[in-house]
Formats: sequence, structure tokens, C-alpha cells
Amino acid sequence: MWLANESRIPSSSSSPSPSHTCIINSHQLSECCVGWTRVTRIISHILTMLTLNLNAISSSSVLFLNLLHRTNADTLSLLASSLVFVSDHNLFTVMLSPLVAATRKFKSFQLKAGFWESIKSGLMKNNTTQVIDPPSVDEEDEEPLPQEFVLVEKTEPDGTIEQIIFSSGGDLDVYDLQALCDKVGWPRRPLSKLAAALKNSYIVASLHSIRKSPGSEGNEQKRLIGMARATSDHAFNATIWDVLVDPGYQGQGLGKALVEKLIRALLQRDIGNITLFADSQVVEFYRNLGFEADPEGIKGMFCYQL
Amino acid sequence: MVAIGLSRTQLQVTEGFASKSMELKWVRRRTTAKTLHLHNAKPLFPIYISTDPRHVDPQHLRDLFADCNRAFSTRPEHLHIRKLAVALSHSAVVVSVFCNLQHLNAVPNHNSSIADFFVPVSPFRDQLVGFGRAVSDYGLTASIYDVMVIPSLQRMGIGQMIVKKIVRMLTSRDVYDISVLCSENERLFFKACGFGDDILGSTTMMYTRTAPLTAPERE
Repeated sequence: MWLANESRIPSSSSSPSPSHTCIINSHQLSECCVGWTRVTRIISHILTMLTLNLNAISSSSVLFLNLLHRTNADTLSLLASSLVFVSDHNLFTVMLSPLVAATRKFKSFQLKAGFWESIKSGLMKNNTTQVIDPPSVDEEDEEPLPQEFVLVEKTEPDGTIEQIIFSSGGDLDVYDLQALCDKVGWPRRPLSKLAAALKNSYIVASLHSIRKSPGSEGNEQKRLIGMARATSDHAFNATIWDVLVDPGYQGQGLGKALVEKLIRALLQRDIGNITLFADSQVVEFYRNLGFEADPEGIKGMFCYQL
Repeated sequence: MVAIGLSRTQLQVTEGFASKSMELKWVRRRTTAKTLHLHNAKPLFPIYISTDPRHVDPQHLRDLFADCNRAFSTRPEHLHIRKLAVALSHSAVVVSVFCNLQHLNAVPNHNSSIADFFVPVSPFRDQLVGFGRAVSDYGLTASIYDVMVIPSLQRMGIGQMIVKKIVRMLTSRDVYDISVLCSENERLFFKACGFGDDILGSTTMMYTRTAPLTAPERE
């Protein structure tokens, strides 16, 4: 990788003969760098770039640099020498001074990591520095942006307004959820496990009902009336678990809306493989939403030898 | 190398099981008359089973998928390396198996038998030959995906070893509802690992992106 990089640089420099010697010295320089820590590798890379691009370079000064490497000079002394070397060009000193301050910090805690890394890089076939890549992956890998909007709004004859709010933020009270599960008739599960499951699910979609009385007090009554959640590996597969709607609000298309929104959020994230395990009485419900039972002979199995 | 850097930084952000272990195990090839003739190597050889996600290089993993002739997660999709790295970092359990294939296929040298006993099988130097992962919510449920072993090392108990390790890691975190999606020919394998059909009788359903045409007609 080093050799490939160095071969690209000569094309940019203007004068051929000094750059030739520079290339040869930078090759030797890079060979010394193989066993070094990542930081010193970067610094020496910058140094070689600088040395090759400077017009006022003389082969003797490059040889001096090379000598420093051969005697295994300390990182800071190397930087000091390079600073003296490029003092003619003020721009480069400005660039290098923060590096000097930073290396002190880097040296202390990167020494251990660098040792194992150098061994690993020596063993691996292709070793490339990965300075730029990690931040971009973090940007792509975002949690789905939580949505919250009014799904249905009803006005009753006595004036109370009832709003049904859809939320995908997962802002659920676990006690409310436990009460809702009891209402639907599901077996009780430990609260701590429920809380952990909600926290670590990829998306938790919930429906709340807010009743506002017409009186001037404006007391709002907020109740949890539905929930659906999905676990995922954020890339390929997702499984929908625990879809439930309060029995008093069933039959209005709320469950359908919950699952549809969940699916849309998953597909938006390019997660194409969505599965679920449906009880016999709700197989038709999911079929109408676009799910197929036992597709291509794929079946789910559960572990019993625990 | 780039990919390993990616997964390492992601590990700092996401959660995972705290204990990461690497074990050296010995597997024995089932010697039938055919295999004795074909393979000159010793029937007993070491493999390295690891639960550390950082040992898996997504590029090698993609090659493993190709070797095992598996459509990825039972659906033929274009395997993007970055997506693989994301999936690995968000999997609760990642089990990988490494083996030094040169040692495997070489003619047995009886002089260096003791040295071979101590041969270190390392995740950095040796080939990824087996893999399995599970996605979980760390509370109630988990799903196992992509269990595979290269064809030349199949039928030796490596796959079962992988599944058993995944199950043990999940049960140590109190997750007992472990599911797996498998096709017809994998069903016997998972049955041997201790999996069975759902006692509650639930139906497995997958999203197919097209709602049935009969639904609007009915209404």
C-alpha cells in the first residue's frame, strides 16, 4: 500500500532529478515505518508528501532525515527536525504545530494498541489505514427518526375530543404495556425483561388515545391502546413481535395501521426480509397486509433443548 | 483490514455480550471408506471457534457465503460489504470458526506429530470456515441467522457446535425464546440441534411486498 501511494506522488512534483532521490529515500523511509504505530505512520506520510512537494529540497537534507530514521529517533525529535527543516515555509509549520501537541497525547495511550496493531498488520495480507471510513458508517447507521402524528380524531356528542396518536419513538411506560397485555389476555412476562426488550428493539410503534374534555380545565387523559415492535440487525432481517391493540379499540383498522407503518419504516431502511410468527386466528389479518405463510418452504423453529 | 476497522469502531457504539471467548476444539472427520481414500490428512484436526465479532472480516464472510452456495438469508440479494458490517455489529451473537486448511490437506508427517498438536490456529491467519449469528432484543426473543460451514468440512459436527454455542450464549443472558428460519433441507439439522416446531402452533410469515389482489375484491 505504501509503495502504491508513493508511486502516485512523483507525477505531481515538477522537478524530476531531486524527486528521484526523494522517491528512493521515501521508499526506505516507508520500510522503516511498517513496524511503527499508526500515528507515526500518518506523520511520516505527511512528511514525505511535504518533502516531495517542496521545490527548495536538496538531497542532502533528505538523507539527513533518513539518517534520523535509521538511528530510530524519537517521534518528537523527528518532528522537531522536520519543523526546523521546513521553517522557510510558514504555512507548513502552522500545519505541523498542532501535530506536535497531539503526538504527546497519542503516544501515551496508543502505544499499547499500536504494538498489537503492528503485529496484526504485519500478519494480514492487505493492510490499509482506516482513518476516513468509520465516521461515514456512523452517519448511515442512524436509528429511524421517531415520528409522532395524529392518526384519527373523533368528536363525541358531548363535546369531548378523542385523538389517537401514533408514535414510533418507543416512549412507552412498561407498566401500561403490562396492563394492556393483561387486557388482551396474554401471559405475564417479567417487567425487567419487557423493559429490556423494548429498549433494544429496532422500532417500537405505539398508539395512545388522548381524550380532551370540552371544559375549561383541559384535563387530558392519555392511555396506551396499541403497540407493535420489531427487532432487526439494521441491515437485512427484521422480525415483528408483540402486535396488540386494546379490545375496546379493535376492528377500526388501528392494528393494520400500526403494522403498515412499521413495515414502511423498515422498507425505508432497506431492510427487505421481514418475518413474523402469527397465531392461527391472525394469519388472515397478516395475509391481507402482504405477508405470505411458509414462503418457499421456509419455516420457523424454536429451541427446546435449553 | 478496512472492514475489521469498521466493525471495531461500531462495537464501541453498540451493545454486545460482554464475554468474548475463543476456544480451540478438535473435530474428527467421520471416516468412511470413501473419505479414507480421498483425504490423506489425519482425521483429527483443530479448529478455532470464536465469539468475538471483531474476528470476522466481512470480505471473507462474503466469500464464505459464496462457497456455501447460500442465497443470503434465504433471499438472493446483492451482498454489500458495508451492509454486512452493519449487520454484524448489530447482531447479539456472532460465532465464527477458523481452520488452517493447509495443515488439513497436507500429507501427514509423523515426525512432527507433537509440533502439530501445539499448532496454533489463529483467526488472523487461518480461513473462516464456519459462521453463525443471532439477533436479539436482550430480553425476550432471539433469532438465529446464517449458520453455515464450508462444504468440505461439513458433517463433522461443526455446525452443531456453532448452534449450541449461540444457544448457550443467549441462555446465559436469560433469553429463552430462540427462533430460527430454515428451509426444508435444513430442518433435520436444526432438529438435531434441539429445535422443533412451535408448540403454540404459530405460522411463519414473510413479507412479500405485494398485497394479495383478492383483498379489495372481497370488500
